[in-house]
Amino acid sequence: MGEKITFKSYKEMPLCAMSIADMTYNLTGSWRNVRPYYDFKISPCRLGCPTAENIQRYIFLVTEGDYEQAWKAIIESNPMPSVTGRVCFHPCMEKCTRKDFDQAINIPAIERAIGDRGLENPSWMKKVPASRKEKIAVIGAGPAGLSAAFYLARRGYPVTIFEADSALGGTLRWGIPEYRLPNNLLDRVIASILESGPITVKAGTSVGRDITLEKLEKEFSAVFIGTGLTKSRSMGVPGEEGRGIEHGLEFLRKVNRGEKVNPGARVVVVGGGNTAMDVARCARRAGSEVTVVYRRTMNEMPAIKDEIEEAEHEGVYFHFLAAPKSIERRGSGPLKVVFQQMKLAQPDESGRRRPVPDGDKTFAMEVDTLFTAIGEEADAAPFGKAIELDGALIRTKNESGETSAKNVFAGGDAVTGAASVVEAIAAGRKAAERIDRMLSGQPEPAVEEPRTISIENINTAYFTKAKRVLAPRITADQALKGYGEIHAGFDDELLHREADRCFSCGVCNFCDNCWVYCPDVAVKRLAAEYEFDYDYCKGCLVCVTECPRSAISTREEGR
Amino acid sequence: MKKVIMGNHAVSYGVRASDVKVISAYPITPQTQIVELLSEMCAKGELDAKFIAVESEHSALTACVGASAAGVRTFTATSSQGLLLMHEIIHWAVGGRYPIVLVNVNRAVGPPWSIWTDQNDSLSQRDTGWLQIYCESNQETQDTIVQAFKIAETVKLPVMVVLDAFYLSHTFEIVDILEPEQVRPFLPPYKAEVRIDTASPHSLGNLASPGEYFELRYMIQKAMEESRDVVRDVDREFEKRFGRGYGMVKPYRCDDAEYILVTSGTVASTTRAVIDEMREEGIKIGSLKIRVFRPFPFEDVYQVLSKAKKVGVIDRNISFGHHGIFYQEIKSALYGRTAVPMVGYIAGLGGRDVTPKVIRSIADNLLTNKKPEPDINWIGVKI
Amino acid sequence: MKAVAKIPTSELMTSGHLACQGCGATQAMRFALKALGPKTALVIPACCWSVIDGPFPHTSLKVPILHTAFEAAASTASGLKAGLEMRGDTETVVLAWAGDGGTFDIGIQALSGAAERNEDVIYCCYDNEAYMNTGIQRSSSTPIGAWTTTTPGDHWKRRPKKKMIDIMAAHSIPYIATASVAFPQDLIEKFRKAREYKGTRFLHVFAPCPTGWKLAPELSVAMARQAVTSKVFPLVEITENGKVWKVWKDFEPTPIKDYIMAQGRFRHLKEDELAWVESETERNWQDLLAREARAGCVPGLRAD
Repeated sequence: MGEKITFKSYKEMPLCAMSIADMTYNLTGSWRNVRPYYDFKISPCRLGCPTAENIQRYIFLVTEGDYEQAWKAIIESNPMPSVTGRVCFHPCMEKCTRKDFDQAINIPAIERAIGDRGLENPSWMKKVPASRKEKIAVIGAGPAGLSAAFYLARRGYPVTIFEADSALGGTLRWGIPEYRLPNNLLDRVIASILESGPITVKAGTSVGRDITLEKLEKEFSAVFIGTGLTKSRSMGVPGEEGRGIEHGLEFLRKVNRGEKVNPGARVVVVGGGNTAMDVARCARRAGSEVTVVYRRTMNEMPAIKDEIEEAEHEGVYFHFLAAPKSIERRGSGPLKVVFQQMKLAQPDESGRRRPVPDGDKTFAMEVDTLFTAIGEEADAAPFGKAIELDGALIRTKNESGETSAKNVFAGGDAVTGAASVVEAIAAGRKAAERIDRMLSGQPEPAVEEPRTISIENINTAYFTKAKRVLAPRITADQALKGYGEIHAGFDDELLHREADRCFSCGVCNFCDNCWVYCPDVAVKRLAAEYEFDYDYCKGCLVCVTECPRSAISTREEGR
Repeated sequence: MKKVIMGNHAVSYGVRASDVKVISAYPITPQTQIVELLSEMCAKGELDAKFIAVESEHSALTACVGASAAGVRTFTATSSQGLLLMHEIIHWAVGGRYPIVLVNVNRAVGPPWSIWTDQNDSLSQRDTGWLQIYCESNQETQDTIVQAFKIAETVKLPVMVVLDAFYLSHTFEIVDILEPEQVRPFLPPYKAEVRIDTASPHSLGNLASPGEYFELRYMIQKAMEESRDVVRDVDREFEKRFGRGYGMVKPYRCDDAEYILVTSGTVASTTRAVIDEMREEGIKIGSLKIRVFRPFPFEDVYQVLSKAKKVGVIDRNISFGHHGIFYQEIKSALYGRTAVPMVGYIAGLGGRDVTPKVIRSIADNLLTNKKPEPDINWIGVKI
Repeated sequence: MKAVAKIPTSELMTSGHLACQGCGATQAMRFALKALGPKTALVIPACCWSVIDGPFPHTSLKVPILHTAFEAAASTASGLKAGLEMRGDTETVVLAWAGDGGTFDIGIQALSGAAERNEDVIYCCYDNEAYMNTGIQRSSSTPIGAWTTTTPGDHWKRRPKKKMIDIMAAHSIPYIATASVAFPQDLIEKFRKAREYKGTRFLHVFAPCPTGWKLAPELSVAMARQAVTSKVFPLVEITENGKVWKVWKDFEPTPIKDYIMAQGRFRHLKEDELAWVESETERNWQDLLAREARAGCVPGLRAD
């Protein structure tokens, strides 16, 4: 830094007015009224993700070409990106700031690409040995149970998974057809989870039938229940039992087992959720003409929008505002199903407008098979002695899945009713973290109000409008020929192109702007970050304006 | 080798002999022949220098400043309006301590336009810190250029060598032309103490507060004061090598003179003829030529003039509102040391010829003049 | 951290200099020196940078500077370059670094002279559109519509900004370009290019002055960007001795109103006056495009 030079005599001076030192003695930081400081926010996509994946971070790591670190960033919150990248309803995209500029980032495609590269590189998954004495039981090997097992095993807890079925995966295997999630891929994902730590599996073991929850409570330090929804709801329509009417879930199970199915030429699917869409699409692959009948309109359908679109592409018809009224069988011919026309009245407890019969208006259809896909229920009764239930669902106290029994936790559809894979994964993870804190005697972390940003905080001058990169796909005609995946994964080029569109909301991604534009060379470009040199920063705040992503905040000096 | 050449060309030969590296000049009567011959010398390869044909005199001197800042020997020539246009940079060259040599051909300033000689142009620069040497012959001119570079580079101040327009610049005389090889042992290559060099980067000329500026000015005055010895030493060395010396002043028949005429430039030559004529008549009169005007030769002037009974100063210039400039300066040099009466004469402004007759009339006036001082005598003005 | 920085990382300017907050002139200098490297000698006439550099005996640059008189940047640079060459240094590039006053007004004679002689120097004018160092007086670079202390109130500047690159093109010099501190990579690329040419190279850099434009300092780069995208200060390159003009058009145009109204020096403009400024800007832009097209009519010039 040096000192300002003063001369005691002309003899000390150079021949003429010539410099002999630099200006670093002059600490221009004293000019400042307001100081900038690096202050990273939570990107809105992360706030939209039920399992709070650090999406900004993993996309950033993709732009750096560090796929391994990107994969590890995802695994912190979600052990199966290859799955969610294919089947998630991506609420993150609804929050993506870029949608207010051109189009939201294709987050699922990026997640899938990284997940798949993770499967190609098994060495990325750290293998953790057992280091804790406490054994944990996990009931159900669906997304919630696998997630709970994974996060506990990572912390060194020996975990035993009890799965009633002979194969693992729950909804992932039985509820989602292979054109959305191939079974061999699912096998590899499950294997990577099971091999990652001290996890034992007891397949074909039903808790309630083969072993009780009370016994598990005694033998294990904690229990996590992730049994999902297994019982299909009935329509409550006369003639419902019998030939020609099948539960959608049962149909999907057969299909996923590889059984040949033949629902007939004319198929109706009653329902508006993902199950209904999958049933319809599988029926189309079996060659049927399919009509989805739903009692509300498309706006109210709970199915993922992508799924509805694909169903439409695959030639599924939709009939809205109708519900089955009666079913007639005549010999061995097709069924005659009479439908009541509905209209929408006031909203019900789901917030959607309730459908009510529209007078006497009805219509009839000849149907070879009618599939019901109007919702599923949990089979929680076996647990009813040990823990409190909420009707057919398991009652929990909080997001960590605490039940009325101290060491019993629950999560996923069995708690919430039909929700989503990502929410189940989140529930499993949060319960695992809570179990660990409980068994380690750690306090609950303080909850901070998350600070995020929106499009007004983005300096759009630094971005050029560009459409979302879409993964290559086969046509609907090609898709209907079998159960192959419809979308291909991103290759490196597409992956980078789409990752480059991410704004990195509120978090520095080393674009260099602050360092470039500082007129006072007061931003230091270090190995892994930038640092303000407050000795010289004059507080002009050009850095704040030119940070494209609001990663710098300000505060008045002296406060 | 001896050649009959004009005064301006004597300048060119002096520059060539001094291995000047950068010349930057703008044409103005009556300096043009200086740079024309220099351009030719560069084109023929006789002089290894860059010639920058700038678009004004102000740019000529700033280009010299730039080149000097690079640490090379530089030269320019001008006159009158051109010198005045350079005035800002005349100061600049001193503050920057650049050893530039400039030849100024004394020419009267306009309006009205005049191309003939008087000394107001160069003398108006007297306060700037340049050394000033007034020449009276072509040989002296060439030799003074060579001396000037050596002086300048030793004291690190620029030197102005002054010639009368036409009477000196365009008059042909015999000159013993110096070759660069002869001069090099006397004037080795220039080694700048301070220069622009990316290997050792400095900033030259930043803002200096009242806390520093004063000392830098003191240093310039000090250099000026020390330059008296340097001027004498250089002249002595030159005389030893080349057999010709010129001194700071040139007294002529002053040892027993009762009356002394002080002159400068070509008038000094003419005056000596008049002195001889008057001596023939038994008048104890002598003349003193002031060659080096800055630094002012206080001691030499005192030594010569203090013995006289009366001193007359011929000024080919005027400081309006005051007096002739040589008159003022000599008066102040003698003040408090000797009370010799002085009479001031203004002659030859705008090139009016100062003939032997004119000088004789001045001398005659000096012998009898009893008017109280300060008295300005305008010689030959049509009143 | 990204391994490859957006611009070269070595610094030839230090902190501690005396520029105002948000000064565009310092951004310009920092970028220019990154492009040219340490073998650069600066000539700086009277301008903001005479003061920014710091007082004797200090400096804030790591390259040598020859401070010179106001009108003398180009002539001093000519002499400096000649001297360096005669000393045997042919590598050091001489960069005359002057403000708009020292270029458009008092310095134009020396600049014209140097350009006509095709002196082997780079001349950069960093343009903040008025005499800022002396306290915001108008220069011939001040744009129409602007308030300055010598164009105050109703006497706001109506005379148009002198077209400096047209003037320089008329001198048939090998390389002329305009640049803006909001586009540092472009600016650096142009200085790099300039370094490779021999002869007079003229660069006109747009450098906002928050103090003089009555502008919040944090908006200085935004204004430097908007000046380009609202066509007030087009980015142009002129080669083939002034004959081939290339205008950068690959940007989203932004409304000139946003640019104008962000700056206090323009805020006095009424609707119709603003409309006049807008139409003049558009006309200049069209003239510029026509100039660019004209080169295509000259046989032998331009392959595209």
